[in-house]
Amino acid sequence: MLKYSIKRLLESLPVLLIVVIISFTLMKVAPGGPFDSEKTAPIEVQKEIAKMYKLDQPVYIQFKDYLFNVLKGDLGVSYKYPGRTVNELIAKGLPITFELGFYALSYAILIGVLFGVIAAIRKNTMLDYIPMSTAMIGVCVPSLLMGPSLVLVFSLWMGWLPVSGWDTWQHKLLPSLTLGSAYAAYIARITRGGMLDVLVQDYIRTARAKGVAEKWIIIRHSLKGALTTVVAYLGPAVAGLLTGSFVVEKIFQIPGMGRYYIQAAFNRDYTMIMGMTIMFSFLLITFNYIADVLAIAMNPKLSFENKK
Amino acid sequence: MSQTEFIEKGNSLWQDAFYRLKKNKLAMFGFVFVSIVILLAIITPLIAPYSYQEQNLILGAVPPNGDHWFGTDTLGRDLLTRVLYGGRISLMVGFVATFVSLVIGVLWGTIAGFLGGKVDSVMMRIVDIMFSLPFILFVIMLMVVFGRNIFLIFIAIGAVEWLPMARIVRSQVVNLRKQEFVEACFSLGFSKRRIILKHLILNVLGQIIIYTSLTIPSVMLFESFLSYLGLGIQPPMSSWGSLISSGVETMEEFPWLFLFPGVVFTLTLFSLNFLGDGLRDALDPRASKD
Repeated sequence: MLKYSIKRLLESLPVLLIVVIISFTLMKVAPGGPFDSEKTAPIEVQKEIAKMYKLDQPVYIQFKDYLFNVLKGDLGVSYKYPGRTVNELIAKGLPITFELGFYALSYAILIGVLFGVIAAIRKNTMLDYIPMSTAMIGVCVPSLLMGPSLVLVFSLWMGWLPVSGWDTWQHKLLPSLTLGSAYAAYIARITRGGMLDVLVQDYIRTARAKGVAEKWIIIRHSLKGALTTVVAYLGPAVAGLLTGSFVVEKIFQIPGMGRYYIQAAFNRDYTMIMGMTIMFSFLLITFNYIADVLAIAMNPKLSFENKK
Repeated sequence: MSQTEFIEKGNSLWQDAFYRLKKNKLAMFGFVFVSIVILLAIITPLIAPYSYQEQNLILGAVPPNGDHWFGTDTLGRDLLTRVLYGGRISLMVGFVATFVSLVIGVLWGTIAGFLGGKVDSVMMRIVDIMFSLPFILFVIMLMVVFGRNIFLIFIAIGAVEWLPMARIVRSQVVNLRKQEFVEACFSLGFSKRRIILKHLILNVLGQIIIYTSLTIPSVMLFESFLSYLGLGIQPPMSSWGSLISSGVETMEEFPWLFLFPGVVFTLTLFSLNFLGDGLRDALDPRASKD
């Protein structure tokens, strides 16, 4: 277990290096310098700017400097807005994106597991069909459709909730629902599948034969086994939530990381994009790592399968 | 009479699968709907009532009526025409990018599984690493660096989506590789090419079909995300994603501009997913959880 988590940690580190290399290379081969708008400036001024940002140095020195800065946690400054650092934007945007992701994921896990379990123990009844067909809808309806539809109904027509922004809980309700629904649906489906797998196992029959109460069979004996698939899914889910939050932040005009990222993309603000990409990759790799180790902790059998 | 013939003739696995698929009503609905959408997309230039970029600013946005079944947008363009053309783009992205991912994924997975050993573990390690990268960010970076054009979208999405395919194919090939008929092929002196193409890939075909049919909707979804963020298809071209995106901006005054493309897009995604699920149940009955 400990050995596995250390091994997995050591494996994650090169991935980060690869991210830094890829993004650095992409930004270097990008056509046009970062200061194209300053074309009209005299040569000396251009040189001065290049010097300030160390663009007159050979590429490998630039890369080395950049890598060391990243290791120190300094992701650089914006090319477009002098004086604005990437770290500053992250400090502003990340807590909001985090909060949104946290609500969405909590809602997804809570609803998903609850309905997945109910559907599994009431298999082939209405309590199975209705949540599962709703889940199918949840998986299929894209958030860029669900978000605006919710706004249209609850904000514009009913007038119950604000259209956009990120302030009170009323602001946070619709974005969290929009972002979390697809995952709630997916988690419900895999929970149901996992429960159905577990419920036919011998040890459940033994528990029943011993006269363990049905609710304890569900909660203590089955759920743990069924949830390993859910936990293993959390890594990819967080990656998906990230993509989703870009869209949701745009729909509801939430001042999170996604918004800054898209803005930077439109401005061709290379250092910004690079810095944020590295930050996001770091987060994703961390979450993947946690999810993997948790899955192993819950189901030690997996670590043997990994060895094979 | 026909019953006995049925038994005597016996059924191939593919016939069995097709029979199972035909019984699945949702999957058949998906199949029919998708076929209609594809057909409409192919013949769009012949049937589109208006031109997709012809503007009529005097007309402006009008609700659905006899002349314009889906209404018109703020520039007076016929929405039905734009939805038809948008479908062409969305489907094309879905199919072409899926095809790109299919080719890379199947080749990668087969080679890794067939060669085994060190090559296999290095190749699969690469897949693992790529899995843990935040791909949307790299796709956005590609768009920023090389400008937004549709071929880049194909390649970028294809480059992301091949990973699960490679994993699935590889694990299947590893299993098949151990079986006697492959040993027999070797001892008969067949070339590796022949064994891979005729014996391995053909046996994984079921899995490939299942996964391909589920990849198409996820690619279309991804394209709509990019278009929604303004990083995908650029005007005057439009995809369903970009139509929804521009519809959202005016949905309070002109809800039909958002609803029509949205409903068509969702129904298509539904159908593709139903069809994919149906194919999985039909081709791989053991995998279905019921």
